[in-house]
Amino acid sequence: MATISTADFKKGMFVAFKNEPHQIMEFQHVNPGKGSAFVRTRLKSLKTGKVQEFTYKSGESVEELPVETHEMQYLYPQGEGYVFMDNRTYDQVTVPKLLIGDFVRFMKENDTYQILIHEEDAIGVRLPKKVRLMVTVANEGGARGNTVGGALKAVTLETGAEVNVPLFIKQGEMIAIDPETGSYVERA
Amino acid sequence: MKTWQKLKQNPALWKQYFIREQVIKALRSFFDERKFHEVETPILIGNPPAESYLDVFETTLLDRHRNPKKAYLSTSPEIPLKKLMVAGIGNCYSITKSFRNTEMQSHTHNPEFTILEWYRTQTAYTKIMDDCEAFILHINSVLGHGTTLTYQDKSFDLSKKWQRISVKDAFKKWARVDLIEFFDIKKARKICAKKGYAVTATNTWEELYNQIYLNEIEPYLGVDQPTIIYDFPGSVAALARKKPNDTRFAERFEFYIAGLELGDCYGELTDWKEQEERFNTELVEIKRLGKTTYDYDHDFISALKEGMPEASGIAVGVDRLVMLFADVANIAETLFFPVEDQFEK
Repeated sequence: MATISTADFKKGMFVAFKNEPHQIMEFQHVNPGKGSAFVRTRLKSLKTGKVQEFTYKSGESVEELPVETHEMQYLYPQGEGYVFMDNRTYDQVTVPKLLIGDFVRFMKENDTYQILIHEEDAIGVRLPKKVRLMVTVANEGGARGNTVGGALKAVTLETGAEVNVPLFIKQGEMIAIDPETGSYVERA
Repeated sequence: MKTWQKLKQNPALWKQYFIREQVIKALRSFFDERKFHEVETPILIGNPPAESYLDVFETTLLDRHRNPKKAYLSTSPEIPLKKLMVAGIGNCYSITKSFRNTEMQSHTHNPEFTILEWYRTQTAYTKIMDDCEAFILHINSVLGHGTTLTYQDKSFDLSKKWQRISVKDAFKKWARVDLIEFFDIKKARKICAKKGYAVTATNTWEELYNQIYLNEIEPYLGVDQPTIIYDFPGSVAALARKKPNDTRFAERFEFYIAGLELGDCYGELTDWKEQEERFNTELVEIKRLGKTTYDYDHDFISALKEGMPEASGIAVGVDRLVMLFADVANIAETLFFPVEDQFEK
């Protein structure tokens, strides 16, 4: 357990809140005036998935949870979670659905992901900067190079997720998506 | 994608952005009906009012020979309006841009923002509460929505009187704290610790008070109906007139609709000695915090010495008003050119 201050907060960090493990989803600085500064924080419970807001005094001490990253392969969904396997040790862990959230849209069987482990519990996945997936359903439309116009069309990816891409992207192409926003980045 | 690109791609979005001009026109008609004078105040100023919780934008004024002088961008039209009140302008208002640095990465802040301030001379701050109820209803009805205001799937009946609650009653109602007891800092520490907040010996009374206010009271303001919360403890409203029948509290109120903090009103302090003392205290704090330093506006103190009429004044975030009436959750959606569009991350 490392003691940090609100000045060290980063989105996605894991901290103890009311003695329970939580993840910082969002935070912003608030100045009610007369010298005091605060940090309004949205925290997600790793146990219940419930998100609540708490406003810390700026500079308050907070316990950061020790979290390890393990590279693991996605196997399959099971019950209320998703099963991943460590390729070296063959250890398997289940990450609860509510801690994977929307990222499941971009998860591909047998692909490798950074799984976050806290005290032997799998608590989430570290979002990669980009995911590379194939476009499996795309309607034809738009001239090549038409990004300046900014027009987008909906396509379906191999995972079943629907995303908006520039008009020139065709069925069968590999593209890169930013998993945090679900938006198109580039051809892959 | 920049906002202008989004608008080109999706012309249906214009309607949302055109709400701003309708809100501002409605504001002007509201004040014109009441015979307030509209004042343009300088954005480029020589000396900001000293406020330690703000960060000022600093720039350089060059004369014809390029001799430099430090200059600043205005954080509020308050000081020029007060000087004009000393000069005898009477009731007045200003719709202008104000600048507050570091105020980014928030759904309700943009470092350059539009502020409305209006002042009534020889009038109690309670009249300004009535103004708030009236101008919100006026804008809503000019926009064609009658007495029903809808924001993020919540409906508000503007024909009903707003909730008016004192800070003392709010502490009792939502935080179950006796604010009079809480004035004693030792008791305040115990109360906060019992509630599970981290308390250290260096925490100021204002920090303890604000932590309860932000966590346990603010979430309830303006949620079911528009709320006016009034009579703040004197130390968090240092430049407001103290209440004559209870000097622990000051004549200050804020109003919230749908959880949005929209306005902050003071029964104005007119004593030049207290104002100067406050400026000096704030400058010490600004240095301590390592923020951009400056000298305060001495001309303002001279004006107060000449005698400012008793007045009440309020500042309202116009961009937040636009958020409310355009039904958007992010201030950037009210601006054609929000700060994010202009500066790369």
